[in-house]
Amino acid sequence: MSYWEIFSWVTMVILGIGSITVFILFLKDIGQILKKFQEEQK
Amino acid sequence: MYSLATIDYLIIIIYLSGMVGVGLWFAKKHTDFDDFFLAGRSLTTPLLITTLISTYYGIDVLFGDTQLAFTDGVVAWFGYARPTYAFFLIAALLLAERLREDDFKSLPDILDFYYGKKTRYVGAVTSFIYSLPALSLYGFGMVAEVTLGWEPITGMLVLGGIALIYTLTGGFWAVALTDSIQFVMMCLVIVIAFPYAMSFIGGFDTMIEILPQSFFDTMGDLNIFLIIIYASTGLSILVEPTFYQRIFAARSYKNVRNALIIGIFIWGSYDWLITILAMSAKVGVLQGTLPADIAPDAALLTVVVAALPAGVVGLFLAGVLSTEMSTLDSYCLVAGGNVSYDIYKPAMKPNATDHELIKTTRYGILLSWVLGFGMAVQFEQMLGLWVFLSSILISSMLVPIMLGLYFKGFRKPLAGFLSAGSGLFSTIILNIYIMKMGKFDAIEETYVIKWFGIDFLQEFVMYITVPISLIGFFVGLLLQKGRSR
Repeated sequence: MSYWEIFSWVTMVILGIGSITVFILFLKDIGQILKKFQEEQK
Repeated sequence: MYSLATIDYLIIIIYLSGMVGVGLWFAKKHTDFDDFFLAGRSLTTPLLITTLISTYYGIDVLFGDTQLAFTDGVVAWFGYARPTYAFFLIAALLLAERLREDDFKSLPDILDFYYGKKTRYVGAVTSFIYSLPALSLYGFGMVAEVTLGWEPITGMLVLGGIALIYTLTGGFWAVALTDSIQFVMMCLVIVIAFPYAMSFIGGFDTMIEILPQSFFDTMGDLNIFLIIIYASTGLSILVEPTFYQRIFAARSYKNVRNALIIGIFIWGSYDWLITILAMSAKVGVLQGTLPADIAPDAALLTVVVAALPAGVVGLFLAGVLSTEMSTLDSYCLVAGGNVSYDIYKPAMKPNATDHELIKTTRYGILLSWVLGFGMAVQFEQMLGLWVFLSSILISSMLVPIMLGLYFKGFRKPLAGFLSAGSGLFSTIILNIYIMKMGKFDAIEETYVIKWFGIDFLQEFVMYITVPISLIGFFVGLLLQKGRSR
């Protein structure tokens, strides 16, 4: 396995795990944001 | 064109409906202009990561970068993408904190603060031109043509029209939230596509065997001057209007810094994988499994659509649409803000209400979309259009913004105005001149003109226009007596 290939698989893992983690954190924040909008509506 | 399965169409329709739904949900929820344009300055780190990455990754990277990877190999990452990470780091550690010190809302706000109204208007026009969604619309045309068999113009109208609807109605909240969904989709489809593409060409070792050695040369066999210009398009991040908008919309400087530092790893990984995917398209062409006449900027699309199974193709296309939409909506919104907040309010109606500003921003969004559509129809290839738009922004804004931010003694109105004005004017004139008088070179994939025995590429314009902007700045500094602002 060449260094090029190893690097490619590593970037795939970083991109996959990184994007899912960030999205989970975003979902946590979005709950608060939507709550804020609902409070302003009331 | 590839035939899509029903499940693929279904995924695409659900995705598009969801985006419009988000826009409509936010339509009546804005309390003021700050809320509409900057999401109430309350973006957290995860929201900043998702919106920064999905906005900055539009056509320029997905197709421009892969075009270079398809024709020249890994130099697309080392020479074109990698330098931008250095600029992101500079932005994270030096620029963002400085920008958060004052209560700016837009890039022209900074010019106004340091140099006065005239320079603000030049900045607003520059930002407006740069933010025209021509690249994204061009991409929609290509996606629709390659995958759905539509005429490019139909693709631009239908797909670009959907992004227009939710941007018009939902403002920055809709943009930021759709960006977040689009972020995870665009990243995951590339992650899924990579092993499929490797399997399609027979593994990574096959790629190394089949492609010429120059494809694995980190600087390729590109002209050194062209590499410098491609790398310096990364400078645009230092004066990028959508990037500035996100800095201003953040809850704090720390949120921006953390988002950029984490983002660099995701950016780098994404760039690398799309570079390899485009190179696998080249392998497919050489093996005869992909058509020999595929356009270099459609290479990524072609190989992925050929390699993925039904259902996953729909997901991939929704991801590609995400990449485009997240860019188009953000740029349209900035252009709309340039019209309302940067020109209409200071020049025509200083006491405009928030309601009037939001309404004018919506007109501006619409105007930018229409003009962007006109440009997308005119340009022949994407990398050239990206370099043209970047050169306008860098040539006009880099010198006055950076010198104004960091050197108090340089904040003289004439200096800012001459620098921004001469940079903008010279870039437009030179680009038009080269496109009219030069010839399109199919090998270099750009317009070329012969000057003093040298082949001068359209991409080289910045070698002339940035020094012009710098000279303009110092001439203004010398001509204007008195103390700086």
